[in-house]
Amino acid sequence: MKQGGELPWWIASIGVALGIVLLWQVAADRGWVSPIFLPGPDRALAALREGFAAGGDLTLHVTTTIEHMLYGWVLASVIGIALGALIGSSRRTRDYLGPTLEFIRPLPASAIAPVAIAFLGLSQPMVLAVIAFGSVWPTLLATAHGVASVEPRLIEVARALRLSRLQVMFKIALPNAVPDILAALRYGLTVALILAVVGEMLAGQEGLGHRIILAARSFRSPDLFAGVILLGLIGFTSNALLAVAERRLLRWQGR
Amino acid sequence: MRPQAPPLIGFEGVSLSLGGRLILDDIRLSIARQEFLCVVGSSGCGKTTLLRLAAGLLRPDTGQVTYAGNAVTGPAREVAVVFQDYGRALLPWRSAAGNVSLALEAAGVPRAQRGPRIAALLERVGLAHAADRYPAQLSGGMQQRLQIARCLAQEPSVLLMDEPFGALDAMTRQSLQDEILRLVEASGNTVLFVTHDLEEAIYLGDRVVAMRPNPGRIAEVFDIPLPRPRHQLATREDPEFLRLRRALFDFIQEEER
Amino acid sequence: MRFPRGLVVPLLALAAAEAAMRLSGLESDSIAPPSAIARAFATALADGTLLQATGETLGAAAAGLGLGGGAGLLLAIALGLSPALARLMRVPVDAFRPIPSVALIPIALLAWGFGFPMEIAIVSFACFWPMLIIGQAAIAGIEPRLLEVARVLRLSLPARIGKIVLPAALPRLFVAFRLATAVSLIVAVTVEITTNPLGLGYGLMQAQQALEPDRMFAFLLWLGLVGWGLNALLLVAQRRLFGRAGWVAEEVR
Repeated sequence: MKQGGELPWWIASIGVALGIVLLWQVAADRGWVSPIFLPGPDRALAALREGFAAGGDLTLHVTTTIEHMLYGWVLASVIGIALGALIGSSRRTRDYLGPTLEFIRPLPASAIAPVAIAFLGLSQPMVLAVIAFGSVWPTLLATAHGVASVEPRLIEVARALRLSRLQVMFKIALPNAVPDILAALRYGLTVALILAVVGEMLAGQEGLGHRIILAARSFRSPDLFAGVILLGLIGFTSNALLAVAERRLLRWQGR
Repeated sequence: MRPQAPPLIGFEGVSLSLGGRLILDDIRLSIARQEFLCVVGSSGCGKTTLLRLAAGLLRPDTGQVTYAGNAVTGPAREVAVVFQDYGRALLPWRSAAGNVSLALEAAGVPRAQRGPRIAALLERVGLAHAADRYPAQLSGGMQQRLQIARCLAQEPSVLLMDEPFGALDAMTRQSLQDEILRLVEASGNTVLFVTHDLEEAIYLGDRVVAMRPNPGRIAEVFDIPLPRPRHQLATREDPEFLRLRRALFDFIQEEER
Repeated sequence: MRFPRGLVVPLLALAAAEAAMRLSGLESDSIAPPSAIARAFATALADGTLLQATGETLGAAAAGLGLGGGAGLLLAIALGLSPALARLMRVPVDAFRPIPSVALIPIALLAWGFGFPMEIAIVSFACFWPMLIIGQAAIAGIEPRLLEVARVLRLSLPARIGKIVLPAALPRLFVAFRLATAVSLIVAVTVEITTNPLGLGYGLMQAQQALEPDRMFAFLLWLGLVGWGLNALLLVAQRRLFGRAGWVAEEVR
């Protein structure tokens, strides 16, 4: 792609985005849409400023949500990669566990929330359990697939070099799965954010999920939109960071 | 002429069936230490299977394959395999240096010693300048050089080469032929070289084994008394080379009729 | 030979759960023996609550899939055919896509209150994105020669889309549809669990709050079955309709 030719398009595209915001402002100002559930961007931004000012509670809620998302995601990723490696490296485990996993996978992750509540109550561990359960699947399945799909010739190379099982796993099978795993980790983080919000809504504790539900109940739409904007920002930033890491780590695919 | 040492690799009445089909039938063959033995034959004659047996990647149904007098039960580090499909036999996520390093890691070479040895090995195959490049950034010839460097890192006594230059263009192929002769000469390796290119077999080998398919068996063994070092022009114009080429060619032709 | 092996683990787990519950004589508010779950399932099936809840969830999911997926497909066609438009929309798309669909639950709640409209709105938002992103890639990836053929034949825009673009992109569009379908069910259930008093998600939540674990697990298993069945159905359809092309589309994704 021509770098020089792209820049004007980016500027124009940002212009379109600003145009949409402007339209939103006009719609709110003219009262096209009831201000009860559509505050203008000016009021949403004011709510953001206020929330982050001294005495505001947004910093707390944002960090809590990010913590939930990250803890649950890390837990899910560790479990997913370990289990996935185990399942991917053995035909027999795949035969025994595959159908069960295929059955659980399409289950909406949030559906596990009532079960988690039954066992863990409306608590922080419940939130983390729901997040971990939901975001473990992409990573687990991607790892299993990546580990199982090593080029047969490389397995022969490993045999010719007399690599041990463990060496094959860490030097060949897992690196082979890295592209799959990275894509799944990125997707898993998106799922983790969604489930963090769900968990917070249910648990009624700290976090943006709880805050936006409260804002809705008391008809404070600017606060509600501030929360939604922040959630969008968290989603965008985490995804972008992982995308950068992915490009770095996959340089070898290059050209 | 060839040294009259005891054989390094022996096939003693080896037969093998795969998927219910007899691939190799009663193979008897011995390869002397430091010999360069080429195997030719039409596709499906079992020449690659022969090489995989020598590598210990396959085990015979009957008979046995021996290495230095002992039965081969699995791959050994003194025996290195150069695969034809270099693109699949390299780790795409490791740089050239990293791919050579794999063999050193497998042999348990301490980290501190790996760097200089990798540099020396890449130097030997003419890839010193490409140490940091990934396989996807290397040409086919360079990738095959890299695979050879990884094999040399095993410090093998035997090189098993399965149509290593089959997928390369003619110019690259000739320069790699000379390079492998030079490397083998310097290290005193024993080589089992499978190819479908008759001229390549004569140019490289001390002996050429011609195989027949259905089931795969050894049909004829040709001695190649051409002087070494060999030379792409002079050797190929040698009357003896031409005579051997004719003989092998006729043999294969007759085979296909 | 593979099928029985796959059944070993679930059957063992069920037997172990049953045995453990019986032997310990445990009375729990959070877990129930499989036999009790089976009874609760039969009851819920017989009194019609299970089927009604399933109908509500699937109805809301289908409506959202139709609205959101349809809108996503339309935009995908526009952006797929016009690189200029695709470039212009890049920043807005990147800005709105990361918003977690569940974050819109409170907004929809303010706008519509409880009921189908708010659930359908959120499912629509969630289904819009996979259809747009995969659909756009599918359409932008059509063999350019085909589009040139369309131009040489002087086809009108609707004819070009109907006769060339959609058929050419269909295998990958179906993949997008399959993913959007899975998303629609997931999001519908999530909305029901968090807020909306409708459908399977609400049934699950209600059973938990009433401390009826047998009923809760019956709903959960049924939900798993529905999700699995839907996915299996679409996979079979994909294979039937597109054969190898379907698999290729899957890999390109």
